Amino acid sequence: MLIATRQLVKHFPLKGTGAFGNPLMLKAVDGVNIQVREGEIVGVVGESGSGKTTLGRLVLGLLKPTSGQVFFDIPDDVLQEYDDYVANNDLKKAADIEKEYSIFNKRGNSQKEIRKKTNIVFQDPYSSLDPRLNVLDIITEPITSTGYLRSNEAVKRCFELLDEVGLPRDFAYRYPHELSGGQKQRVALARGIATLPKFLVLDEPTSALDVSVQAQVLALLRRIRTSHNIGMILITHNIAVISYMADQVNVMYAGKIVETGPKKDVILSPIYPYNVALISAVPGKMVKGTKIILKGDTPNLVEPPPGCSFHPRCPVSFNMCGWTAAEVASDLKYLIENKYADMFKAETVVSTNANGNVVIKNANMSQILSLLNLEKEKTRSLAAIDRSSESEEGIELWLWLHRTPEMYQYSDRLVSCFLYAPRDGKSSPQPVNSAD
Amino acid sequence: MDYTLKVSDLKVQFYTRRGIYKALNGVDLSLMQGEIFGVAGESGCGKTTMGLTIIGLLPVNAAVTEGKVIFLDERDLIAPLRKGNTEETDKFNLRQREAVTKQVNKELADVRGSRISMVFQDPMTSLNPVLQVGFQIAETVITHQPRSLAERKLARSRATQDDTQAIVELLKEGADEQAISRYAESKGLRGIETQVLNVWRRNDLGETKKEKIILSLHSEKLGSFERIVLESVEKGKGKPGWMKIPGISRAARGVLLREGYTKAVELLSMLEVPNPDKVVRMYPHELSGGMRQRIVIAIALANNPDLVILDEPTSALDVTVQAQILELTRHLKHRFNTSFIFISHDLSVLSEVCDRIGIMYAGRIVEIAPTDVIFNNPIHPYTQMLMKAIPRIEGYEIQGVGGTVPDMRNVPRGCAFNPRCPDATEECRIKKPEMVEVEEGHFVAC
Repeated sequence: MLIATRQLVKHFPLKGTGAFGNPLMLKAVDGVNIQVREGEIVGVVGESGSGKTTLGRLVLGLLKPTSGQVFFDIPDDVLQEYDDYVANNDLKKAADIEKEYSIFNKRGNSQKEIRKKTNIVFQDPYSSLDPRLNVLDIITEPITSTGYLRSNEAVKRCFELLDEVGLPRDFAYRYPHELSGGQKQRVALARGIATLPKFLVLDEPTSALDVSVQAQVLALLRRIRTSHNIGMILITHNIAVISYMADQVNVMYAGKIVETGPKKDVILSPIYPYNVALISAVPGKMVKGTKIILKGDTPNLVEPPPGCSFHPRCPVSFNMCGWTAAEVASDLKYLIENKYADMFKAETVVSTNANGNVVIKNANMSQILSLLNLEKEKTRSLAAIDRSSESEEGIELWLWLHRTPEMYQYSDRLVSCFLYAPRDGKSSPQPVNSAD
Repeated sequence: MDYTLKVSDLKVQFYTRRGIYKALNGVDLSLMQGEIFGVAGESGCGKTTMGLTIIGLLPVNAAVTEGKVIFLDERDLIAPLRKGNTEETDKFNLRQREAVTKQVNKELADVRGSRISMVFQDPMTSLNPVLQVGFQIAETVITHQPRSLAERKLARSRATQDDTQAIVELLKEGADEQAISRYAESKGLRGIETQVLNVWRRNDLGETKKEKIILSLHSEKLGSFERIVLESVEKGKGKPGWMKIPGISRAARGVLLREGYTKAVELLSMLEVPNPDKVVRMYPHELSGGMRQRIVIAIALANNPDLVILDEPTSALDVTVQAQILELTRHLKHRFNTSFIFISHDLSVLSEVCDRIGIMYAGRIVEIAPTDVIFNNPIHPYTQMLMKAIPRIEGYEIQGVGGTVPDMRNVPRGCAFNPRCPDATEECRIKKPEMVEVEEGHFVAC
């Protein structure tokens, strides 16, 4: 395995403090495992703020993770061993493997060796090229600074690289401002492959380019991949680009990978509800299917929704996806005050209590039950209501206990959705009180 | 079919230190009423310049050298901009241009924002960060149509219980827009019909709740000052003299502003913004990107314009949010009889919403056709190559368009695409191709 990450987590501290004086943390990447084989293009797709770029930087060691490991060039059996050790809680043996293969434990020459074998191409060619250096200097910089070649050989290498990315050789003496966007991105790409890396991170390599130029750059990337057998992580929000380029696809949502597998599965027959909506929303498809228009926006990463972080927008979410009493109460309140205003008295009050239950005052049970029955399909949060009881407080609605989904195997892919959880006793929903 | 806008042979150039950029080289375009027209092209092909020219927002160093923009009532919007320019003018006189800009601003004051409005790419830069969004929506209405606000409120105070009862009866019988407004007109209640219909069309409320709201739209109590202000705004064209006295003018504005907020809530609920009555009191930074873009669209639609220019409205948004906004645009088209010009570099976005699409290259529209025709049967070689360059989910080989966008300082002679065109002939290098109609509604310049 060229690159393998295990439980990679990156939290960025924010100003101010949250409840109990805990520092506020922006959970940009939250427990990500991805793997890249040699010569394989692995796509990472997601909306802005889903942590794609942070992941790309973590994988190269440009950012230090809060926890988790990135292994570089680790034999498959060693990786398997490591996973077994972690599963069996044999942390000492796991630490030995971490020491040898983790990029965060490399220093000095061995770190330089990794730098030589990895590289990154950034999104914006306008800001990633130093305006005061000419193209020759830009391309030779990584060659000489990693000690890949001596400077006189580096110039020769630079001309070869220019040929390879399809730029005329006299461009070597031009400055970035003299180049167009597509040409700049080619220079950035030439710099990226200057030291013949084994692994390349492409962070939105074409989103600053026009469609006509994008097509050329993508074709170039494919050519480079086949000629040098470079493993790549392609980070983009453009699903069509991923579908054109990648072998394996990871879909990210709110710092987590929610669906991963071969391209033909994940893109052409998505199953994770977010991914289904995402693919259906891609404009300009040949076959126009029904579009699933999601409600709402990407979640706040400082306090991501509990349980499955997609549940508030999910069109098929159900009882154990992570509904909290506050969410259920606000939905109920909205329904009671607007759509079903004629069924309820104006004094009806919806609130939550200390047990984490929803309490409705000044209403009778049959009204509530009929409302729940009518709205069950449309308002997903109501699915979280397990049972109801009457007390002197009013009508008390008991909620199901929510849990966080893990990655479940589903044929060739991994999906983080309860709908695809193996059917055993462990993962079936539990009412709130049987847990404590 | 009625035309909303006719652009003919529009030529615009920019004077810069590095020479004269010919941004538009003869754009021809006619826009039907209630249609979404898409404009696509590479960056630098003049898409945005075209939008800005129509609404007269060109910077001082730009000059319209030729062409007309005829809007609805035979009015040429850019007449003052054309003044004193020919293609040969190689220097620009800053003083003169500034005067022209001022004159344009003055002449177009009654068109911009009320009859033609524009939505820009980045909602954060087009909203004022220190004002509540409700205020910003209300402001556009107060500036352009204060009368409509006064009418709305006065109608509510004049209506009797019987009137609202009658309107609800009408609605229940399935009366259309015209019937309601006829009724309102006959009772002297102009301004109530939009309020009623906006409530009636909401999906998030139950029937009875809607009825309740509509039934409550009567006998609103007005303060004596409020009444004086509203009645004088309703009658007069401009502000009466007493309303310009500092303290009073502020208070009078406050009266209109309150009604403006109510209108803002209505607009936002129409744009499917959750909790509109809370959102109007928020500031732009509290809202997400998609929500901000809805606010900008609400501002654009606040005065029921005849034409809305959308300049890359979804390029800064995520795919799922983009889908929401596109859905909304389609929905709005059916709702109002408004024409849209939808500018985007992304053809696949255009294919989702547009009725017709125009492909721009080097400051000219080279092909115009209905959406499905342009995708299935593109004729211009540039369009054909562009179609091949779009990566799609279905995954087939894509091909870039060779060469680069031409330098707009000296656009190639003849057909501007000839240096990149695989089938260019000698003729293409000399003669500028005319727009020809190859089949009904399908024009091409090749």
